[in-house]
Amino acid sequence: MAKAELQQTSPKMKEKEPPLKGTLASVFLLGFFIIFSWVSVYFLFLHRL
Amino acid sequence: MMGETMKVDRRDAKLTLAHLYVAFIALALGGLAGLLQTLVRSGKFNLPAGISYYTILTTHGVLLGLVLTTFFIIGFQFAAVSRTSGAFSDRVRFWGWVGFWTMTIGTAMTAFFILTGQAAVLYTFYAPLQAHAGFYLGLTLVVVGSWISGFAIFAHYARWKKQNPGKASPLLTFMSVTNMILWLVCTLGVAATVLFQLLPWSLGITDRINILVSRTLFWYFGHPLVYFWLLPAYMIWYVVIPKVIGGKIFSDSLARLAFILFLIFSIPVGFHHQLLEPGITPFWKYVQVILTFMVVIPSLMTAFAMFATFESYGRSKGATGLFGWLRKLPWGDARFFAPFVGMLFFIPGGAGGIINASHQLDQVVHNTVWVTGHFHLTIATTVVLTFFGAAYWLIPHLSGRVMTKAMNRLAIIQTVVWAIGMTFMSGSMHFAGLLGAPRRSAFSTYGNSPQALEWIPYQIAQAVGGTILFIGIILVLVIVTNLAFFAPKGETEFPVAEAAEPAERTALAMENWKLWIGITVALILIAYTIPFVDMIQNAPPGSKGYKLW
Repeated sequence: MAKAELQQTSPKMKEKEPPLKGTLASVFLLGFFIIFSWVSVYFLFLHRL
Repeated sequence: MMGETMKVDRRDAKLTLAHLYVAFIALALGGLAGLLQTLVRSGKFNLPAGISYYTILTTHGVLLGLVLTTFFIIGFQFAAVSRTSGAFSDRVRFWGWVGFWTMTIGTAMTAFFILTGQAAVLYTFYAPLQAHAGFYLGLTLVVVGSWISGFAIFAHYARWKKQNPGKASPLLTFMSVTNMILWLVCTLGVAATVLFQLLPWSLGITDRINILVSRTLFWYFGHPLVYFWLLPAYMIWYVVIPKVIGGKIFSDSLARLAFILFLIFSIPVGFHHQLLEPGITPFWKYVQVILTFMVVIPSLMTAFAMFATFESYGRSKGATGLFGWLRKLPWGDARFFAPFVGMLFFIPGGAGGIINASHQLDQVVHNTVWVTGHFHLTIATTVVLTFFGAAYWLIPHLSGRVMTKAMNRLAIIQTVVWAIGMTFMSGSMHFAGLLGAPRRSAFSTYGNSPQALEWIPYQIAQAVGGTILFIGIILVLVIVTNLAFFAPKGETEFPVAEAAEPAERTALAMENWKLWIGITVALILIAYTIPFVDMIQNAPPGSKGYKLW
């Protein structure tokens, strides 16, 4: 039953879902920036050991 | 029945406006103190009339970190709750005014003791630096006043729930209630250190103070304080900005879940401010660092939701390409532009926060001016620019006026000025911090040590940035005064967006306060009980008070 409901709603959901490729790219850029900042200061820490 | 109303009741509007006036007066005075600080630290300027650098430091910290924020937030929340859950009863409004006057009297008292040089204790409660008891009493009144206002909001919320059984509360009301619960739980820590340690010690009833306990109670409060500042900005991002741009809230459930996660995870994390302090075992620091990283999650959820809101809107307007939706946003509207620039600055602000909370990396930046640069990105840009953006519609909405095109243009310029000034000031603070420049201290060449001389160009850049920021403060005060008293009469909208897909059941589950507060308390007890007992059982003799400046 639950499966049938899922199958019924899925195409509908697909129609409504806005394409969020830009959001995906933005969150990746944000993630890379955080990692880059963190690793930069980490290397500074290692350098000063 | 109290349904969703479009306007804030006129009597509630007065209550909010009173809070906003105090907030912007604090901005003017605290901002001036900040300008003087950057000038002194450049080494090119001495304060006249024997005024101490440390007097203006405490003035700046208290007026901007506590007074501006608390008054703006409580005023904004009163308006948000009244707008979305209906006008207050006379009783709730009365207690709102009692809260306001209690906070205002407390602020005046605190300001008196700071300005007369009897409370140079860095940023608020920095034992063993000791202030006059009146300073601690004044700040206690500020906190107690905020509690009274918090309970007024809770009472109004309870009435709404009673009148709307089985319904989820309006999103802005839910968010305001969550933020006030967070505030209530976290201020218990600062109340404990003030009542049981600082006040008896400053009155001479006790001779010595347990520094580690005092600092632990302060940071139990000090980090959620950051979220108490940030959550109202998130309210504006989640609920107001989508309406301003003409879109919808990406997900009502995601917004509510983010707020609940902030409530749960933002309190048991204070040890990440104490990573380099002896007296706390590494294991408990580690536990709280893990919890600190948990609180990154709702901020990342918020970043995702904002990008998705903007992209969904842009696509609905026919935007193409990976980032074409950015072009569809209303760049000429200060109500959007100021908070958006605030969001951008939160990217380096958040990244810096993750660095601060990582134990090894904290050893690079701890107690350096990097940290000052960090919180000038998060609170003094992200939060403050969002509040300015909100003031541009909130004040005319409450005062029955409209923002003119000229004022909107000035607000855009103000935002740009702020962004430039902060890039100079906070950027140079970050770099100087990486080179070891200390925070909190006045100008010194430390006996012409080569390392200290390296910091001077950055300190001059901080003064340049501080001066530009002060111009930004003058601009925002011009705009706010215009909107409150001189702008043309008319109707201004209080923008509240609709959710793209209402999710009543999820929203209701998010109001299971017993569960969320229960988890919050349990996490606090897990993270703090053992190390706190250890601090008391193995306490050193304690410290006498010092009044150095």
